[in-house]
Amino acid sequence: MMDAQTAGLLAQSFESAFRHQNVTAVEAALEEIGWREALAEEAADVIPLLFTRQGGANAASGALDDVLNTALGLPADGDTAFVLPEFGTCTAPGSVRDGDLTVSGLGTARMPGAARAVVVAEDGGTLRAAVVETGKVETRPVGGVDPRLGLVTVEARGVRLDERVEVTAGRWADAVAAGQVALAHELAGTGRVMLGLTREHAVTRIQFGRPIGSFQAVRHRLAESLVAIEAAEGLAAAAAETLGPDRSDPGSAPLAAMAKAVAGRNARTVARHCQQVLAGVGFTDEHDFHHYFRRVLTLDGLLGDARTLTRGLGEELLRTRRLPVAPPL
Amino acid sequence: MDLQEFRDGLDGWLDEHEPELRAEFGPDVTLDQEMEHVSKVRRMTYDAGFMRRGWPEWVGGLGGSTLMRAYLGEALAYRDLIDPGIYSMTEVLAPTMIEFARPELAAEMVPRLLRGEETWCQGFSEPSTGSNLGSLSCRARRDGDVWRVTGQKVWTSLAQYADRCVLLTRTGTPESGHRGITALFVDMDAPGITVRPIRAIHGRDEFCEVFFDDVPVPVDRTLGEVDRGWAVAMDLLPYERSTSLWHRSAYLRQRLGSLLSSAPDGALDPADLGEVVQMTFAFHARSRGTQHRMARGDRLGPETSVDKVLLATTEQAVFDLAADTVAADIALGDDPGGDRWRTEFLYSRAATIYGGSAEIQRDIIARRLLDLGTDR
Repeated sequence: MMDAQTAGLLAQSFESAFRHQNVTAVEAALEEIGWREALAEEAADVIPLLFTRQGGANAASGALDDVLNTALGLPADGDTAFVLPEFGTCTAPGSVRDGDLTVSGLGTARMPGAARAVVVAEDGGTLRAAVVETGKVETRPVGGVDPRLGLVTVEARGVRLDERVEVTAGRWADAVAAGQVALAHELAGTGRVMLGLTREHAVTRIQFGRPIGSFQAVRHRLAESLVAIEAAEGLAAAAAETLGPDRSDPGSAPLAAMAKAVAGRNARTVARHCQQVLAGVGFTDEHDFHHYFRRVLTLDGLLGDARTLTRGLGEELLRTRRLPVAPPL
Repeated sequence: MDLQEFRDGLDGWLDEHEPELRAEFGPDVTLDQEMEHVSKVRRMTYDAGFMRRGWPEWVGGLGGSTLMRAYLGEALAYRDLIDPGIYSMTEVLAPTMIEFARPELAAEMVPRLLRGEETWCQGFSEPSTGSNLGSLSCRARRDGDVWRVTGQKVWTSLAQYADRCVLLTRTGTPESGHRGITALFVDMDAPGITVRPIRAIHGRDEFCEVFFDDVPVPVDRTLGEVDRGWAVAMDLLPYERSTSLWHRSAYLRQRLGSLLSSAPDGALDPADLGEVVQMTFAFHARSRGTQHRMARGDRLGPETSVDKVLLATTEQAVFDLAADTVAADIALGDDPGGDRWRTEFLYSRAATIYGGSAEIQRDIIARRLLDLGTDR
């Protein structure tokens, strides 16, 4: 467990890194901090620290690629991207038939500048990870609702594979869990900033001779938003504790997926309340709110959206008819 | 003793004694029997040493981390051996005594509560004082060595069984608001006290009206300082939202697990089930953090209102899911199973009302956590 002082310093370093305006500069700053080394050693502590700030800064980086590559036990460096599952899902984005790889997935902002990408693919009933040169896959920028995130689509057909390593189902589940925990924190960080912006508006905007933050309808929406953020963050923190090589525990996968689902759903709740309280100004391009709202809509779809994960959890529980074990005190 | 050692010891002991500790349910089980059962569980766990862990030695405890208290209630609730609403009152009342009573009084009284020899109640709300606690009017007038208490309380849980009451009284002027309140520790067999149980919607006489007619209370039963009873109440309320809620969280997971294992095929909607399970786990994670903060000695404050909002929302979601899943049992069932789901479903409607309503919690969050200023 990282001590509070180290955690505080690291958090400050991440905040500075995310103040850079472009992905290359952010990635260079993270490299300088030694983020990947910290990730390899103390994933459970540094993933929450970094992704909460990335969400808060509305920044983009390849940190998620590092989380997944590291969790899969593959070399992680700034030149290696990771091909994420298709929007809304958390199934492996590739498939291999007769040694040829087909891919359909997403890439973070690192993908366009990376030399290589890791693809996890289903191959005759087992999962395998292959490192492919990005020149062999077609990447296309996603405009969509959140262009600042820098997502790309990744497509490829008939890529000849020479080397690939088997990935056990457990390892893939661990990697997805690590990514989900990261995204859950990023969503919570995004929600906190939406609430902060809205609180500022509520105490300064005067109507009927008083700040709108004195009206109970407004106060309760903001209180509800804080509860939603705290709930998501608490569950994400509990899920983070189960990450890392020495804390491998069979209960971690459902907890991470729950955390991701709650974070996605609750971030939308926060966005709904905040946009209503911000009213007209929150509907404009001139207020920062929209950047965060756009981010929520996009992050919710990475590594399983709230709706899919929630239904999936229910279906799984109806098969086993047993609740997962809750984290002990 | 560390938590792991405590857990292992308790789990083994409970495995062995579970048959004796098992609670009964059903339309024929009276509240008297439930109260006797909780007292028995307290006595047995006290005698075996588990109930004493996490409490200071000078009030009959064996010291150690408060996490052991949290785990004891969790284990009892998760095994369905206690009603957490009755059992967990200790977690609110004993800390108040330890902090605010004369040390000799706390040392004399707290062990009786922990051992299950006595039941205590909490006299806060009044007919015209619900959410606005600072407006209470039950009067205490100083008369030599005693206070003379006259007035009325309502929603006093289990007052008909109670031997003592932590009572908030008005000692300042009627207009003194939260500055003129004094907390007293009252013997419920004192002359002039009348208790009238109220039959609640779920069929239990759990709440009472309590009438005080010139009731003498020795001045050495004053809790905290005169006219500073608001501090006692404010100090007690975060406790109400910490360990007690952790116990309740275990109970909710136990009930949800029971619904999941017993629901007929096709009765549970997977999306609804998934969402309610996520809510129970999010509440569990939140409350777990609170238990650790309390064990570290952090002062609990308004942030526990988040825990209360989550409990209320989660409890109602769990029993709404039950109401959708075993609708006929709840509406029509007179067997023990149906009776239990119905009772619990009806009781869950109070979760957004008792212990500070959903609206009051949101007001606290807005004012104290979001710093939105007052609502005027």
